[in-house]
Amino acid sequence: MSSVDKRRKQNRLVNFVTNPKYLMVLATIGIFAVIYIAGIVLYGDKGFSTLRTFMMLFIDNAYIGISAVGMTMVLITGGIDLSVGAVASLTGMLIAYGTTRLGLNPVVCMLFAILVGIGLGCAMGGMITYLKIPPFVATLTGMFLARGVCSLISRESISIDNDLIDAMASWKIYFMKFVDGEWVKIKPVAYINLNVLMFIIMIIVGTVILQMTRFGRNVYAVGGNEQSARLMGLPVDRTKMMVYAFNGFCSALAGIAYALYVKSGWNLSLQGAELDVISSAVIGGTLLSGGVGYMVGTLFGVLLKSVIPSLITFNGTLSSWWGKIITGALVLLFVGLQQVVMSGSKRGKKKKKKDK
Amino acid sequence: MCVKSKESIFKSKLTWAIIAEILILIVAAIIEPRFFSIEYNTETGMLYGSLIDIVNRSAEITIIAMGMTLVIALGGTDISVGALVAVAGAFALKLLRWDVTQYPTPGDFTVKPFILVLIVPLVICTLMGLFNGVLIGKFKLQPIIATLILMVAGRGIAQIATNGKQFTTGYSPFRFIGQGSFLGLPFPIILCIVICAAMMIFVRKTAFGTFVESVGINPSASRVTGLKSDKIIIIVYTITGFLSGVAGLIYSSRISSCDSNNAGLNYEMDAILAVVLGGTSMTGGKFSLAGTIVGSLIIRTITTLVYYFGIVFRVDHGVQGGHHRRRHHHPVRAGAQDDGHAQGAQDEGR
Repeated sequence: MSSVDKRRKQNRLVNFVTNPKYLMVLATIGIFAVIYIAGIVLYGDKGFSTLRTFMMLFIDNAYIGISAVGMTMVLITGGIDLSVGAVASLTGMLIAYGTTRLGLNPVVCMLFAILVGIGLGCAMGGMITYLKIPPFVATLTGMFLARGVCSLISRESISIDNDLIDAMASWKIYFMKFVDGEWVKIKPVAYINLNVLMFIIMIIVGTVILQMTRFGRNVYAVGGNEQSARLMGLPVDRTKMMVYAFNGFCSALAGIAYALYVKSGWNLSLQGAELDVISSAVIGGTLLSGGVGYMVGTLFGVLLKSVIPSLITFNGTLSSWWGKIITGALVLLFVGLQQVVMSGSKRGKKKKKKDK
Repeated sequence: MCVKSKESIFKSKLTWAIIAEILILIVAAIIEPRFFSIEYNTETGMLYGSLIDIVNRSAEITIIAMGMTLVIALGGTDISVGALVAVAGAFALKLLRWDVTQYPTPGDFTVKPFILVLIVPLVICTLMGLFNGVLIGKFKLQPIIATLILMVAGRGIAQIATNGKQFTTGYSPFRFIGQGSFLGLPFPIILCIVICAAMMIFVRKTAFGTFVESVGINPSASRVTGLKSDKIIIIVYTITGFLSGVAGLIYSSRISSCDSNNAGLNYEMDAILAVVLGGTSMTGGKFSLAGTIVGSLIIRTITTLVYYFGIVFRVDHGVQGGHHRRRHHHPVRAGAQDDGHAQGAQDEGR
């Protein structure tokens, strides 16, 4: 009896590992672990192994990660959103202009910027869902529009001069340890700031939405096969609208994070960020054709993309441009892997059917 | 769907683009009549004027958009073109300044033979286009992610080729490509006309254009009828890579240097915009090269007007965004009534 149980348990583990849906995420985590451990072995003496270095991976890429949460959801529905960089840039402009030039309360500015983000997301979602414009075109339009509005607000960089925003940007939770009866900061100082907190909360929120709510299951169903989802009576249109609205919200939040990170707004900032975001999600195992993707994968996709520049910095002699080439190669590796895994699983399914 | 209505839609799309261009020019004429003056400079033997300038400066985008039209007609996109422009410039300047230690200042020298300076970048860009094509045609990757690879890696390659430096050159045969004149017209215009004519002949006088449209409307049906859609996709992306290389040579010759960071920045968006303004639907299917040329001219006219009248830099993107939105509503609404099958094919594909 116990041996049967054991075998069943083993089978479950094997199934979990070989399931193509999880395999991609596991591959991402595995490659991140390999690169990170390689970094510790090579540059551990220079401080690569410290908690500070690890936390910097989060701090420097929090805005990409926040946006990637929304993007993952859009990609799972089989869509794409090219406007995230422009919307985030617009958010930064609104906050900078509102607080510094108009002297408004930063909280009001942020809420307004989030509303603008959600509004733009809804508008693009509406174009995609009801006017049947392909997502690529609809969001490209949104991108041009957001960039245009950015330039209308100001064509120069505005540095943010506001006490509350300064306080938010410099707010930190330090990692402490218990030594001789009192708490002291660990050395070298490692901390989490507001951006990282937002990033982690968004990853958790995204996971909960996707895995534990009816809406999340609808998202997977729409991405898996929109026609079938419609025939099953699922609210396809509403789901797509909400996903794009949520992505608009994430873009605006990413814009706030970026504004806190650089403490300024510029109409040309975050150009090409949308592709960073998309490639993070893709490296994290989200399928562009829709239906498959996990927030955990996206988290590690962001980390994997940020550990490469970090390694190159620690090396010191390599040209920083190798980072771009390696990122390109990683994307190639992962989409190739996806292709192999997906075609393999299809073949497996066919075989099973034949056996029956 | 009868042939007549197809033709009338095709016509109307091109006419719309031309009407838009004329409207913009009329606005320009009302504000500033001198906008249309063209002078002939006897010393340099070249025509000067805003109109000439618009056509001259639109050459790079027009050349890239020729390839992009076919890519979009296949239902794909190529976002690596801007990076390829940088790659071509970087390799050309690397060859021009091969012995950079021997000749520290830019002057009248090059590797021998000079033709290598032109051929090597073009071959590299063509190979990169082939790489895109193989990923998309053979391995069936999504076009945007397949070309994203080279978009990211391309600029890195360009930087490493030049060691992150910006070379300048004074070699006159190379500078002729972007700054010289032929028959009174700037040389990029001549190059652009030759390439556009060659593409139009290649696409319309052979069956290739029809093949592309067929694959774009319904890939599986085309495969069933015996078209080798893989090969067509590969050829189209390779052509686009080659044309990006040509545009890169023109660009780097214009500025007499290479700039791996900023050369061809946002060209992919401008080229896609030119194609869409020209009336080719992003869903794939029927395309119009003539429309694309007009689309590219519209973009450049707006940009030139913005510079000419001293309106703030980059407001043009706002104008373009609005324009884009307005234009795109039109074909979709029309599509619901008349042009259903391109749209329908896309829906079936999903």
